[in-house]
Amino acid sequence: MESQRGYQGPLEQLDACRWRIPRAYKPGMRVDGIIYANAELIERVRADPAPEQVANVACLPGIQVASLAMPDIHWGYGFCIGGVCATDPEEGGIISPGGVGYDINCGVRLVRSQIHWADLAPRLEALVGALFQAIPSGVGRGGRYRFPNVELRELMVEGPRALIARGLATERDIEFTEAHGRLEGADPGQVSEQALERGENQCGTLGAGNHFLEVQVVEHVADASAAQAFGLAEDMVCVMIHSGSRGLGYQVCDDALRALRGVPESYGIVLPDRQLACAPAGSPQGRAYIAAMRAAADFAWCNRQLLMWQTREVFAAVLGRSWQELGMELVYDVAHNIAKFEEHVVDGRRRRVWVHRKGATRAFPPGHPEIPAAYSAVGQPVLIPGDMGRASWVLAGQPGSMRQTFGSTCHGAGRLMSRTAAMRGASKRQISEELASRGVIARAASRRGLAEEQPGAYKDVNAVVDVVAEAGLSKKVARLRPVGVIKG
Amino acid sequence: MYEVIEHTADIGLRVSAATLEELFAEAGRGLLALVVENPEAVEPRQSLDLALAAAAVEYLLFDWLAELLRVFDSRHLLLGAFQVQIDGLALRARASGETADPARHRLLREIKAITYHRLSVARVNGGWRAEFIVDI
Repeated sequence: MESQRGYQGPLEQLDACRWRIPRAYKPGMRVDGIIYANAELIERVRADPAPEQVANVACLPGIQVASLAMPDIHWGYGFCIGGVCATDPEEGGIISPGGVGYDINCGVRLVRSQIHWADLAPRLEALVGALFQAIPSGVGRGGRYRFPNVELRELMVEGPRALIARGLATERDIEFTEAHGRLEGADPGQVSEQALERGENQCGTLGAGNHFLEVQVVEHVADASAAQAFGLAEDMVCVMIHSGSRGLGYQVCDDALRALRGVPESYGIVLPDRQLACAPAGSPQGRAYIAAMRAAADFAWCNRQLLMWQTREVFAAVLGRSWQELGMELVYDVAHNIAKFEEHVVDGRRRRVWVHRKGATRAFPPGHPEIPAAYSAVGQPVLIPGDMGRASWVLAGQPGSMRQTFGSTCHGAGRLMSRTAAMRGASKRQISEELASRGVIARAASRRGLAEEQPGAYKDVNAVVDVVAEAGLSKKVARLRPVGVIKG
Repeated sequence: MYEVIEHTADIGLRVSAATLEELFAEAGRGLLALVVENPEAVEPRQSLDLALAAAAVEYLLFDWLAELLRVFDSRHLLLGAFQVQIDGLALRARASGETADPARHRLLREIKAITYHRLSVARVNGGWRAEFIVDI
């Protein structure tokens, strides 16, 4: 039974970075659970109920190899955050909206520039102020772009490519977005009117919670040739954007879970947690969710595209040069809440499986056909936001991810502290002043929102990244330090 | 009465009341308090009539809260006063509140959705108790 007390079951150490929950731990588990962590992180993991959720996911029909969790694992609802679950439809494999999450295609994009930190530093305060003014963030904020019904449907089918004709995206932007920002089979016809209503004025808005826009500086290059391929160099200014499909995606997930009430039982599926609701991927219910989820994912790529576009405009206005002159090109955009139908080798055989990444990032290795030609020699960029006081990382996918984790790696630092605990700890402190003393200018719509997201509420991202690097899932390319933060 | 349940990434509420109708109203007020730091500042300036039906009482609570959330997200309408009638598994309610005004309402956090994780509604000691966790 889950409780805030933590996990009471078995965790067997396999090697320096992997821990096993044996299939025998509880009835219904079809495969083992495997958690990536080092000896220090595993103690944090044990203190959280999340491993029980790893075991629960191992009960899902058609799951292959293992129920996997990355080192940024923490307690979610149903699925843990940081989880990877691959199912084979030929073996009754399911699709589960809970394995994607409410924020369908929540993800990260990184924009590089040719601006040296020393040149920006004197203008930083003005820049952060202008970004905070221009980019809608916070609870219930609509944006400056409106996409009524027909146009919204176009975005959900075409993804950010539909924004090129509107002068809000370039061909190059599309090339450097995961899946080119468009999932084949997206069907807006499966998206409810309520979801469309929520999405109408939210494309190009940041939202709140852990979403952010950060001005960052490349502080350390760990792999010179990979960094060069990604266009990153020490002291250069970057912008990292973390957001997803906003109310549209939340409503798609909500609608799907509602439609799935009673459905698992009708297929004879016994679930340890209602939030794991699912249907066979090939069933009418499964196909309906997949089509709607893909539409919401395309919308999320449009959202991050418009957030980037507004950022370019603000930089150009504040610095008095066009974004092209400032070299503000997209490094890459990755999804970390998504289900993709991918080809993987399982038991020596090529198979197409549904890879659910719930707080996990795709990390395809060098030479994989789905990554841009410019990055083919070094692997897919993996963008790992840390907390707003410390650092974020750029990694590159490695062959180990294909052998071990269905081409996946971690997605962030992972929460350590509950929101209420973070708030108690911050009751007499000014988080924005603390950040300022670390050289970070933070602007947030809600002071309490900032307190809930304070650096101490998260694990140390460096420790998380060490594990995925040692396990061979992805390699370190560059560490970025935040200098300006916009939060909802 | 409602109290916050700790959760690593998200947040939950435990609600108790003498009757099922009061439980739903209290859950609605609790939800508002998760969104707005000063829920007492939300005045009943406009009303909305809602009618819902579900296959189980916990689904009815879920649908009720999800509807309040959707109204806020799509129309920016904060709802904090409720008259609830429940007949079997059918609910009729009048929800009152006003459009969010950043000058008077300190908006706290964005709730993405109500989740089914640990969702429960039960009779306890002659009254009612519910728990739910929301996704942030």
